[in-house]
Amino acid sequence: MKIKIELFGAARDFSKQDYLELTVPEPTSIKEVRENLMDFIQAKYPENKNYLEIVKRSAFANEHNEIVQDHYQLSANSKLCIIPPVGGG
Amino acid sequence: MFHGKVIDASKQSISLDEAKKFITSEQCGASLFFIGTVRNHNNNKKVTGITYDSHDAIVEKSFKEIYEEAIHKLTIDHPSVYIEHAKGYLGLGGISIIIAVAAKHRSQVYELSRYIIEEIKKRTPIWKKEHYNDHQSDWLKGNPVHDLSK
Repeated sequence: MKIKIELFGAARDFSKQDYLELTVPEPTSIKEVRENLMDFIQAKYPENKNYLEIVKRSAFANEHNEIVQDHYQLSANSKLCIIPPVGGG
Repeated sequence: MFHGKVIDASKQSISLDEAKKFITSEQCGASLFFIGTVRNHNNNKKVTGITYDSHDAIVEKSFKEIYEEAIHKLTIDHPSVYIEHAKGYLGLGGISIIIAVAAKHRSQVYELSRYIIEEIKKRTPIWKKEHYNDHQSDWLKGNPVHDLSK
């Protein structure tokens, strides 16, 4: 199934668009999405270890604007946001 | 009383006057205005400006949660809080954040204001991309967020 990940902060550098679409097995969890995203980054930017670090340190939010944990299950056409480490002010 | 909003810097500026109007109350003997601005250096680099990115909906939700948490945890009489954070590009001296608070006593406004800014730094989804005088730019490292409710 396909899921859409909206990009924010440092993760915006992962794509020229403001989102990524990943194809993941159904059902899937945040933990698996993170692994899948890391595989995608490793394939697309093999030299850039910093991008992998960003994915490792990021949280994810669902379409209800809630931060979701690793065990959270996603359904087809789910929308997620990646929330890299924050630092406003 | 509470107000919390993300301001698009390309359309609007954060206004100290608006903040003052919002928090002013005859019940409060103390008001405090915290203003964050863009400075010209960081980590030994010359900064020329900052682009702020924001997940607006979660930011505004987080401002409200932090406010509610603060007045629950701290002892504040007649609290009034106005928070705005900019998104988009700001040059040097641009106002990135205002936290205006009013309460009955001075100790309460210092405590409340400090609590709010420290929590925003820890968990509100806002990101900074610094621009330098050598035309390079970098996203700042930041703090990982794992659960906004904690």
